[in-house]
Amino acid sequence: MSRAEPVFAAARVEKAFGTLRAVDGLSMAVEGGEIYGLVGPSGSGKTTLLRMLCGLTAPSGGEARLLGSAMPRERRKVEERFGYMPQERAVYRDLSVAENLLFFGQVYGMSRRRIAARTAELLAMMKLEDRRGQRADRLSGGEKQRLSLACTLVHEADALLLDEPTIGLDPALRAEFWDYFRDLSSRGRTLLVSTHYLHEADRCRRVGLMQRGRLVAEGTPAALRTLAGEHAGHPVGDMEDVFLVLTRSEGDAR
Amino acid sequence: MKLQRIAAITERVLRQLAHDRRVLAFMLLIPAAAMILFGYSFSGDIRDVKVAVIDEDRTDLTASLLDSLTADEALLVRVVPSGEDPERLLLEEGYQGVIRFPAKFTSLYYAHFAMGVATSAQGRIDLTLDESDPQIAAAIQKSLADALMDLGEGGPVDVQIQDLYGVEVRFIDSFAPAIMGLVVAMISTVLTLLSIVREKVDGTFARVWVSPVRRAEFILGYVLAFGLVALAQSLVVLGIGGLVFHIVINGSVFWAFLCVILFAVGSVGLGTLLSAVAQTESQAIVSFPLVMLPSVLLSGMMWPVQAIPAVLRPLSYLVPLTYSNRVLRAVMVKGLAPWQEPVGFAGVLAFVVLTIAAATLVLRQQSRRSD
Repeated sequence: MSRAEPVFAAARVEKAFGTLRAVDGLSMAVEGGEIYGLVGPSGSGKTTLLRMLCGLTAPSGGEARLLGSAMPRERRKVEERFGYMPQERAVYRDLSVAENLLFFGQVYGMSRRRIAARTAELLAMMKLEDRRGQRADRLSGGEKQRLSLACTLVHEADALLLDEPTIGLDPALRAEFWDYFRDLSSRGRTLLVSTHYLHEADRCRRVGLMQRGRLVAEGTPAALRTLAGEHAGHPVGDMEDVFLVLTRSEGDAR
Repeated sequence: MKLQRIAAITERVLRQLAHDRRVLAFMLLIPAAAMILFGYSFSGDIRDVKVAVIDEDRTDLTASLLDSLTADEALLVRVVPSGEDPERLLLEEGYQGVIRFPAKFTSLYYAHFAMGVATSAQGRIDLTLDESDPQIAAAIQKSLADALMDLGEGGPVDVQIQDLYGVEVRFIDSFAPAIMGLVVAMISTVLTLLSIVREKVDGTFARVWVSPVRRAEFILGYVLAFGLVALAQSLVVLGIGGLVFHIVINGSVFWAFLCVILFAVGSVGLGTLLSAVAQTESQAIVSFPLVMLPSVLLSGMMWPVQAIPAVLRPLSYLVPLTYSNRVLRAVMVKGLAPWQEPVGFAGVLAFVVLTIAAATLVLRQQSRRSD
């Protein structure tokens, strides 16, 4: 992989389920160290795009690349270098917090000692220290979500694909999650974060607005505001209005 | 393929099992309960079997036979009027056997040696049996034979047995091998299935497939975990079998355990295979009787495969426990090496190879599932 290669890249990538085109010829690229927000309503194709990028499902057309490798064909080359957080709170409900982290550390080949150190770090970061021995199914929704994120982070991957990591969380906890993301980005991690909370777009360095499997607009939050202002003929401040203006004008353009 | 990752999966599965106290209790209670229940129902003396006697002959000879039968502790004899339909008595009155002395029984009985020459004439007794419990059916036959022995003289008696279900009964040789196989099949299949369905429902499946874990490692991890569980269960069955019921193991315990573990491996494969069909936990649980019923009814565990009606018999050969029973009985009861029961041993090996291969394919499909 050359230095200039993007961490996540899609080139006219498509995924069809029967007649439904979940992702419809979408192209995008995320550079190292960025927080890129995939923003759009439920069913707009965010999850399918993430699943193609991490090799869980093969594109029906076009190409999905992660850290320079074509997915899913070359995923073995990069499988230890990325972390994926599925939308479900994907943890083993009958294992404790620490045991979940132990398992996910072990499958990535980490030593017990390293996992123990990493567990301590993550539990402190996620404020789960006093939940260490608690079974995952006894955790609150927010705690489970934090554990799910910790499981994604345990092997210290460079590239992180987080599918709706803040779904169902209260605003205070959502803000906390975005603080974690900024912290990770400042340590050189690259994050691709999907969300249907349009206000969270402001937390990202760049944003892709998704609708019906396509990228309607892409840019920094400020650039998207300017673009929406041009379309609307008046300043647009609120991210929800930005999305509405830009998706409407996309509809007009078709 | 890395040992550490396989071990990680094994350790994780065992931890999960250990966390669920109910499942843990279940895992050890099932073999214990199965051994105790089956043990008592098979090893106790049979008493008070309800038997109806229809006496259409009414002679001293039949009266003395009736006395012998009534004196037998195994039977609870009631005389019913002639003309009663034996099948109705069995199906509706709760009798487990109907003995009928037809008219002329006595004269035919004595005619056999009439004038000191044996003729083809022979006394005949009709015996209609409910064979749903082979032990009971056999007990009735034995009591009748004893009563006839008590007569001490006269010609042979032709006991015409009518099977209510058309089944020929034979005592099961031994039940401990069958219980070991049954328990292992149930637990390994159902818990593997449940565990994989949970992975799908909870989304941990996706995490595992983006990690470096290979399909073969995943299956081997499960196989090791349930192989250990199967070993523990076999120890429970043999322990209770030996201490409480004094079962005799003629063969090698080593070979028995090896076969049980092999069978557990195949059952893990079967559970994985079934996970392609079951998408939710409740569906997984519903499949429990799916494994249980054919195993109990068709494997030769309760009655010999030869006693299963011809229509159903081919199904017996599709039930994995049929082969496990053959090989485990050969090893434990007859004292043979597994390969000296080639059909059973080959069946278990084929079960392992087929289900594990199919399971690998199923996991390939599921790990690349486009949903």
